[in-house]
Amino acid sequence: MASMKSEIRQFIANQFLFGDDKKLGDDDSLLEAGIIDSNGILELINYLEERYGIKVNDDELMPENLDTIASIAAFLAKKAG
Amino acid sequence: MTTSMLKPVLSPEPRLVQDFLETSATLSPYKTAVIHEGSRAAYAEINDWANRLAHGLIAAGVRPGDRVILLSENSLSYVVSYYGILKAGSVVASLNTDIKPEALENIIKELEPRAVVVSPKLEKIVRAVRAPLLKGVPVMVAGAGQGSTALRPGTVGSLRPLSDGLDSPPSQNPGLAIDPHSPAAIIYTSGSAGKPKGVMLSHANIVVNTRSIIAYLELTSNDIQMVVLPFYYVMGKSLLNTHFAVGGTVVINNKFAYTAAVLKQMAEEKVTGFSGVPSTYAHLLFKSPLAAYRDKLPALRYCSQAGGHMPARVKLELMKVLPEHTRLIVMYGATEAAARLTYVPPERLTSKINSIGVPIAGVSMSVVGPDGKVLGPGETGELVARGDNIMLGYFRDEEATRRALDAQGYHTGDLGYCDEDGYFYVTERKDDQLKVGGRRVNPRTIEEAIVESGRAVECIIFGLPDPLQGCRLAGLVVPVRRTDETVAEILKFCAGRLPKFMVPDALRLVDTVPKTTNGKPDRARSVSIFLESEAATS
Repeated sequence: MASMKSEIRQFIANQFLFGDDKKLGDDDSLLEAGIIDSNGILELINYLEERYGIKVNDDELMPENLDTIASIAAFLAKKAG
Repeated sequence: MTTSMLKPVLSPEPRLVQDFLETSATLSPYKTAVIHEGSRAAYAEINDWANRLAHGLIAAGVRPGDRVILLSENSLSYVVSYYGILKAGSVVASLNTDIKPEALENIIKELEPRAVVVSPKLEKIVRAVRAPLLKGVPVMVAGAGQGSTALRPGTVGSLRPLSDGLDSPPSQNPGLAIDPHSPAAIIYTSGSAGKPKGVMLSHANIVVNTRSIIAYLELTSNDIQMVVLPFYYVMGKSLLNTHFAVGGTVVINNKFAYTAAVLKQMAEEKVTGFSGVPSTYAHLLFKSPLAAYRDKLPALRYCSQAGGHMPARVKLELMKVLPEHTRLIVMYGATEAAARLTYVPPERLTSKINSIGVPIAGVSMSVVGPDGKVLGPGETGELVARGDNIMLGYFRDEEATRRALDAQGYHTGDLGYCDEDGYFYVTERKDDQLKVGGRRVNPRTIEEAIVESGRAVECIIFGLPDPLQGCRLAGLVVPVRRTDETVAEILKFCAGRLPKFMVPDALRLVDTVPKTTNGKPDRARSVSIFLESEAATS
């Protein structure tokens, strides 16, 4: 789980934050932080689907699943398990 | 067309934008006006908070006609601030929340605001502005509490936070004598090139446009609007003003990225209307459980669409997926027109699938040739609009104003024609025309074809300089499903549909099409992205 979180963090940092993730906590809302919007979410979903071989269903597009690094990791674990 | 039993009550006749709030606060003080996350606020409360802000601004030195900048994301506080600034007699300049400090500095230099109202989340952008530019300009940070506002130390005056003195008498409407034809709002629009221009709208522009929109949408106090579009665009603003004018409700949801959550809220709150631009609907169709909600949205009367051309295929798909009772209302307008110019009566949509519709009440439109001659049905020229909703002009830019407004009306910059039934069509933006091998190409035709293939969610076509042809066609495509064959399949489809010289040379698959600050597809950035990816793979 810890390595998954750090991979997700790395992706977000590279894709949206020009490599700088110092201020992003595991439980910080990506939407509130202005990191994710309706465009950004598509990039995140594509990354998760390609990297982890999962499919994000339309009805799973909820903040509970995708809005923080911690939620994403939990969501992935649920999908894999 | 059904006759509504509940005709919109707009009495007394609104003359100023703030009348919408003040009248509804009198007629339906306890009616829920705004829902945002866990908060529900009634008209009387919002009016009270807005009055406090207005009196605070007046105490801080704001005089009628002064500009006040509003920089805030959609929220209850935004609504309070918008009407509060208007009640103080000032002109509200609500800025794009993505604005960077440098662009903000340029706007401050031009506007010379008397005050700035900013949300806590965006305060740091205002603080990054060099101090001399805001010398003597109070910066009010909208408080974290419901609708309350507070001034930071070092500024003039203070407001009691909302939580104080709940027993104290409600504050009065300032009731200033404001000329309805004086500016109410300044909205910056980037246009296709050059520096952003400040569109000045009078109270009368906004009021008359609001009434026309209420009429064709048949809005009543029973209407509940889901708002996912930013209020700083005129389209978002029209959602707010129309629903406040009829004493309806707005549901603010800033998490459209999570479409499943938005649909859930639409069902829970029994939303009657939803509004979007083409990319909103692209998301709703391809990246949301909309299909699963088909029988869960019994209250959804209509979905309205503006903000650019939406491909016919997307409109038809939406009509299939949306609940049967939900009408799709296609609309067209411009910031310079306060918001709306035309709409397509929903029962005519299928037969007029690519049309922008007929003028709304009080608006007339003509098609004008390059020599200024008014053209007849079927002839293509520039769409020129007239009406009491047309702007006063661009702020401190007489030259641009003269180019856009003349005796014929407002020159939209859109080319199109009118059919025999009086329905208008936009064929392309004047500025988007391309020339390939000496032949004129309309990028929209190619974009439509790509979406028609069924393999694209969105796309954008542009021309790249080419030594042989002068210009070669390339594009970015957001695929429905990303496969190795997607590009080849799309090009094959285009070759079957379009003349050879219009088939793009190259297409790149992307996750999204970049948008400008106005939410429209950004051709310039798309070109950069394309060239970067070409360089990376060569």
